[in-house]
Amino acid sequence: MAEVILEVRSATKNFGGLKAVNNLSFDLHKGEIVSLIGPNGSGKTTTFNLITGLYEPDSGDILMQGESIAGLKPGQIYARGISRTFQMLRLFSNMSVLENVLVGMHGRTKANVIDCMFRTPRMRREEEASIVRAREILAMFPGRFPLARHTQPAASLSYANRRRLEIARALAGEPRLLLLDEPVAGMNPAESMEVMRQIRDLRDAGYTILMIEHDMNVIMGASDRVIAMDHGIKIAEGAPVDVANDPAVVEAYLGRRGADTAS
Amino acid sequence: MSPEHIFGLTVSGLTVGMIYALIALGYTMVYGVLQLINFAHGEVFTIGGYIAASTLIWIGVDATTPLAVKVLYFTVAVLVSLVLTATLGWLIERVAYRPLRGQTRIIALLSAIGTSIFLQNMIVIIFGPQPIIMPTAIVPTGFVEIFGARIRILQIVIIVVSLLLMGLLTWIVKGTRIGKAMRATSQDREAAEMMGIETNLTISFTFVMGSALAAIGGFLVAMYYGSLQFNTGFLYGLKAFTAAVLGGIGNIPGAVVGALILGLAENWGVGLSLGVLAWLLVAGLGLGLYFQLVRAPRQRISHIADEFRTPAYERQVRNVYRFAPVLAVRTLLSERTDALVHVSAQHALRLMVGNIIIFGLAIVFFASGDMQFASKWQHVISFVVLMAILMFRPSGILGENIQEKV
Ligand SMILES: Nc1ncnc2c1ncn2[C@@H]1O[C@H](COP(=O)(O)OP(=O)(O)O)[C@@H](O)[C@H]1O
Ligand SMILES: [Mg+2]
Repeated sequence: MAEVILEVRSATKNFGGLKAVNNLSFDLHKGEIVSLIGPNGSGKTTTFNLITGLYEPDSGDILMQGESIAGLKPGQIYARGISRTFQMLRLFSNMSVLENVLVGMHGRTKANVIDCMFRTPRMRREEEASIVRAREILAMFPGRFPLARHTQPAASLSYANRRRLEIARALAGEPRLLLLDEPVAGMNPAESMEVMRQIRDLRDAGYTILMIEHDMNVIMGASDRVIAMDHGIKIAEGAPVDVANDPAVVEAYLGRRGADTAS
Repeated sequence: MSPEHIFGLTVSGLTVGMIYALIALGYTMVYGVLQLINFAHGEVFTIGGYIAASTLIWIGVDATTPLAVKVLYFTVAVLVSLVLTATLGWLIERVAYRPLRGQTRIIALLSAIGTSIFLQNMIVIIFGPQPIIMPTAIVPTGFVEIFGARIRILQIVIIVVSLLLMGLLTWIVKGTRIGKAMRATSQDREAAEMMGIETNLTISFTFVMGSALAAIGGFLVAMYYGSLQFNTGFLYGLKAFTAAVLGGIGNIPGAVVGALILGLAENWGVGLSLGVLAWLLVAGLGLGLYFQLVRAPRQRISHIADEFRTPAYERQVRNVYRFAPVLAVRTLLSERTDALVHVSAQHALRLMVGNIIIFGLAIVFFASGDMQFASKWQHVISFVVLMAILMFRPSGILGENIQEKV
């Protein structure tokens, strides 16, 4: 098995009395796609927030390439190579498509105000390099971000393209680990398949991917491994087919659906 | 009422408007990144002017100082004021706002008001309660004649300096790395933080820039009116804040637009007789009618989906605007209308009411054409303008900086 890139060790996060994530442990290996599944409210997004430093775990630890990242600031964790997308899009919608990707690179560029004032050669080189890289990243979505679109505000994009732009922005951080929160939510089947193919391409390009997903076709078609959660607890882990047929998982989905209709 | 007089008032309006804009930018930028109204900003403005003026007093300028030396002193005063005031702005954020971040807004608001009072008292303690008088020797006193109106050179200086500063600010915000960080931070601080942007640094920078602009504003006001008082910043701050809200709080071009409108309205309002204002209203009515009869229907028609587009349908939409009162009311009352026509009818009625109000006001103004507002009315006018615009556009002329959060 490839090297372990991320280790979550008994991470727990409480909100008041609610254990949103409860004693959760799992490993991610370099170059695999892992899907995190579970009914609504089972703690998937909270897990992402723990990994990306938006929340600090109440107990337990999270290690990125062997080093603890629990308690680090989101920006520091980003710099260590973990980027994410959001379930509800959080693009900088008044900024242009290109600028959104450039913001993703922000931490990697060094130029300060003084550099900008005097347009030092260092700054100009850096600026040009970032723009070239940003255009490269946008070109990873063939046909979706033609040059003319680069200067348009992100808000003007179609919904599916905004989701793609979020992935592009996450890639701008040159991450080793990519966390995708429901990357195909709200897309039609054809678009979902396209994104699924893209996610597999990203894996083949060397990224490790952890994604939250509900779409069974995408889960089965893209993931190497699946982790299922319910009530903040990991209830199953393994190959996609095995997890999908796991009695505990079936029970979690059916049980919750029953409760939902009752309420 | 001569054209020269109107031109003179316009220049005065632009001058005051530019100063409002310099202050309003600070309010709006801070609101952008923190969703906080920095009530201490008015005092930052006063202190900027005080520091510049007292630097000049301390150096000692008089009429015999040669021009080159005056320019040097002037530069020194500006620099000292910029550095100290920017530091003050930075300090305010660190001491009064940052420790309270994450608390409810009302707490930050209290802290802002407290800081404002504290700073006013500090001015009295340090500089004394009497107004500070700007050394007149440093102020450009000349006049030029433009279109027959006598314009103070200082007014031109104020307008040009402000324009340059706004250009610089636009470039910083649009074209530089820190500007990108500012825009990202003001749209979604958490997401910006997660992209590796140092939001605290960005917020500090925002305060520094806003305070620097206010400092220059303070200096310009001190030169324009010859003196400053410990509480000058209160009224200016309030006006600038009004301007920021008028243009759309959090929106940088909006602050400038709002400030200019306010400055012009105040000066036209008290300087012109009602008869002349009536002509302004007629111009406004022309614009309103153009909107109602041409722009709005054309825009609405362009929204019709292609599969529904028929000449008859287009005519129906256009007629709602043309014959607004009759047709629009009938459309709104009838049971079955399609959504687009219904929305158009509501819109048309609103435009119609606006135009009728303007028309009515114009008649009233024409009827009492010789009357003039006393200058005591200045502040009343600016708030009437504010209320009138916010009634039709609650989010300000150019719209608020809308926060999109999860
Ligand atoms: N910031 C928060 N404050 C309080 N409760 C929260 C917060 N975030 C999530 N929760 C709660 O934690 C549980 C797990 O939420 P979440 O991780 O968003 O679930 P999922 O993404 O699996 O649908 C839910 O019950 C949710 O209401
Ligand atoms: Mg979720």
